[in-house]
Amino acid sequence: MKNNFLETGPSIKKHNKLTDWFLLDEDNKIKINSGKIDIGQHISSTLALICSKNTGVKYEQIEVNKLNTKFSPNEGKTASSLSASHSGTAIKAASIELKNQFFQYVLSKFDCKLDDIDFENGVAKKNESNEGISYWDFAKTEIYKNIVIKDIIEFDKYSINQNDNNQSIELKTIHKIVTGEYIFVHDLCFDNMLHARLIRPPNYYSRFIDIDKKILDKISKLDISFFVQGSFIAILSKDEFLVSKFLDIIKNSIKWKSTRNLSNKDTFTSIDQNEKDSLLVKDGGEAVFERIPVLKNFDGNSNYRSKTITFNRPYLMHGSIGPSAACAIFENNKYNIYTHSQGIYDLKSTLSKALVTSEENINLKYSPGSGCYGHNGADDVAFEAAFIAKSFPNKHILLKWTREDEHCWEPYGSASINKLTSTIDKKGEIIYWSHEVFSDTCMTRPSVSELYNFVSYKLLNDDFIKRKSTPKTAPHMGIHRNLDPIYNFKEKRLVKNLVHDLPLRTSALRTLGAFANVTALESFLDEMAQLANIDPFDFRLNHLDDKRGRDVLLDLRGQMSLDKEKQGCFRGIGFSRYKNLAAYCAVGIELSVTDDVEIDLLKAWISIDAGEVAYNDGIRFQAEGGLIQASSWCLYEEVKYDTHEIISKDWSNYKIIGFDNIPEIKTSVINRVGYPYLGVGEVVAGPTGGAISNALCNALGQRIKTMPYTKDNIMKELLN
Amino acid sequence: MKKIKCKFNINGNHKDLLIYEEKPLIYVIRDDYNLKGTKLGCGLEQCGSCAVIIDGEKKLSCNILAKDCVSSKITTIEGLSSNDNLNKVQDSFKKYNAAQCGYCTSGIIISLSALFNKNSKPSKKDILKSLEGQLCRCGSHSAVFKAIENLMKSN
Ligand code: FES
Ligand code: FES
Repeated sequence: MKNNFLETGPSIKKHNKLTDWFLLDEDNKIKINSGKIDIGQHISSTLALICSKNTGVKYEQIEVNKLNTKFSPNEGKTASSLSASHSGTAIKAASIELKNQFFQYVLSKFDCKLDDIDFENGVAKKNESNEGISYWDFAKTEIYKNIVIKDIIEFDKYSINQNDNNQSIELKTIHKIVTGEYIFVHDLCFDNMLHARLIRPPNYYSRFIDIDKKILDKISKLDISFFVQGSFIAILSKDEFLVSKFLDIIKNSIKWKSTRNLSNKDTFTSIDQNEKDSLLVKDGGEAVFERIPVLKNFDGNSNYRSKTITFNRPYLMHGSIGPSAACAIFENNKYNIYTHSQGIYDLKSTLSKALVTSEENINLKYSPGSGCYGHNGADDVAFEAAFIAKSFPNKHILLKWTREDEHCWEPYGSASINKLTSTIDKKGEIIYWSHEVFSDTCMTRPSVSELYNFVSYKLLNDDFIKRKSTPKTAPHMGIHRNLDPIYNFKEKRLVKNLVHDLPLRTSALRTLGAFANVTALESFLDEMAQLANIDPFDFRLNHLDDKRGRDVLLDLRGQMSLDKEKQGCFRGIGFSRYKNLAAYCAVGIELSVTDDVEIDLLKAWISIDAGEVAYNDGIRFQAEGGLIQASSWCLYEEVKYDTHEIISKDWSNYKIIGFDNIPEIKTSVINRVGYPYLGVGEVVAGPTGGAISNALCNALGQRIKTMPYTKDNIMKELLN
Repeated sequence: MKKIKCKFNINGNHKDLLIYEEKPLIYVIRDDYNLKGTKLGCGLEQCGSCAVIIDGEKKLSCNILAKDCVSSKITTIEGLSSNDNLNKVQDSFKKYNAAQCGYCTSGIIISLSALFNKNSKPSKKDILKSLEGQLCRCGSHSAVFKAIENLMKSN
């Protein structure tokens, strides 16, 4: 709800001193400390823009420090689309508090009213005088040093000329990116640094037995070090070329013993047949251990019509373009680690346990990595680099995963099955909705109590046990994210099934369960709309009370109606509110299917409501990027494996979308001034999945139920 | 493993280096020249992150042997601009903020620079051809297309 008061949120609750967030130690500059990192979502530019808008200091004069556990606030993980709502709200609160306290100070110093003050770019002057006080003068006072940010602050108390949200800004990182000067962790360079590569076993369950000694003699002559503990193996050299050159040679000279197979069954048979924990998902999205009601059957009642459908989603990869990397040095009993982890503070405590040292002995600095879409290899590689560093003290160890490491060892997005049954009455109203999801866990981040979630912690200890995960129960957590529909269906039966002993390592990939759940839900809604013979937009609106949700759908309908549908092209829509409490998004897709059964994505429309717009282009970039990635998941992606190993070892065996199939995208951002900021990194994926599935169904006249929508999968279903 | 003496010309900077015969060009660029803008993404000629311009043509530096480039003029992302004078592609990418994480961006800029150096009015087909094999996982594609559109208008 819009008002003049701002609730400052969880980050300020933890760090409520203004000096936790701002450093004004240099004239005309505001330096922001944030606990979030740039992982491709441009949060630093958004924060600078929020600060500029609320302090009246030019965007160009605002810098954002990289996260460092020595001085940055702990804002948890940069995940779950919470960067803007956590850090953005904190910076807005800090900016307003700074401005409010500054004006109070200025008015008492000048002994005048607000109307007598001219304010520009952080400097307040009494009308027609040259006497001025700046934020930077104020920062030298004791008052400033002791400012505590309140839980609720007034944001229109001293209005200043605010900048426009739609202003076109230069991203903080862009100049360095286009000139090649932007330094990623992969690019760090220190005196005497050693480059390291890992020698991974053929699969998760292989034990190191032996290595051909002749190879060891050969590499030692070239000054390549060989490091082994348990089944964890690394090679190191000053020369990066040498470690990459000898990687395969050494790999081929090692004997491994496999302790078990990955799986003897295909993915969906395993999901269907393996042991599972079944939980009931309640209204509001919480999962509970309660008796699961039996599926209702309306057969024989002529007032009702029902349908049932099953969707399959394969394992998906994060597949960052730059493989995971970290740099670590161990000196004077302390570790200094450069990492692109999403959860740097959590990693610090976990590393202290894994490395058996106190937290004071570990300092982590954020150093950019390639795009991050969830729990990838960043935490693993940080642990590995630090662990190796202890055996090579006083030298920086720059460890890079190879393409094969990244493809085969990252924790994937789990495969899943979604089973839905629904019933409509004569008016076309849904009176019964059952949605069951079956999947592996989305939550295997390493933690103090789960060190074995570091893949190499297990290898170091020759630990080949496959542990059972426990189901997470919090609302919209993991597998059951967005299982509870936002629509007002009369009776719901929602079930989360955590399936055990599935073959591949899984964890949090962008949206967790929401992509599969929303894709299934939105696809099935179209099936039910068709059964009721009602237009898909109307069908959704008939079942939706939420005003902001309705506005987003109506906005999409308006956008799509402006572009005439061409012959031979087919459209579909999808809608969701992320976790039913964050951003709203509706997506429209237009596609065609070639004679060779290939899908051409032609147009896409996005309508989005992410609360107050802090940075319009930032929302657009995230939304369009999310749509493109989700399109890639739908059309091309599947991790392949056999009984013994992962087959998708590189891009030739794991296709992703290219520049040749990018639709023309139009994005409409609804600005809700005064409403909380909501993140947009994940909300677009589910609606995109639904929209593509629906457009494809319209094109083929038949629903394709197994992703990816490749020629093979489509033909299999069409011929069935 | 044999080392050989080679003369390189990277971004107009000439160097005599003693290198392993089998050393791919990317390591000469990144390690011997300390030019970190050229990225290693796969080492398998599959992702385009390591693209550079060799004698006017886009080439993938991760597998090409450095010793085979001795008589060539090599341009990396750092060599496309002098001081703060960006080339047209870089300028347009900057104006349109056409990057997310940026890991793939230098390879994409290199590909387009090689194309626009030869043809200031390329067709859509030419553009797609030049971007073939350039992978981006963040989905910066639509922003890249906007930057290209702007580039075409200003040419
Ligand atoms: S690193 Fe050369 S193409 Fe990927
Ligand atoms: S911008 Fe991240 S991979 Fe392209």
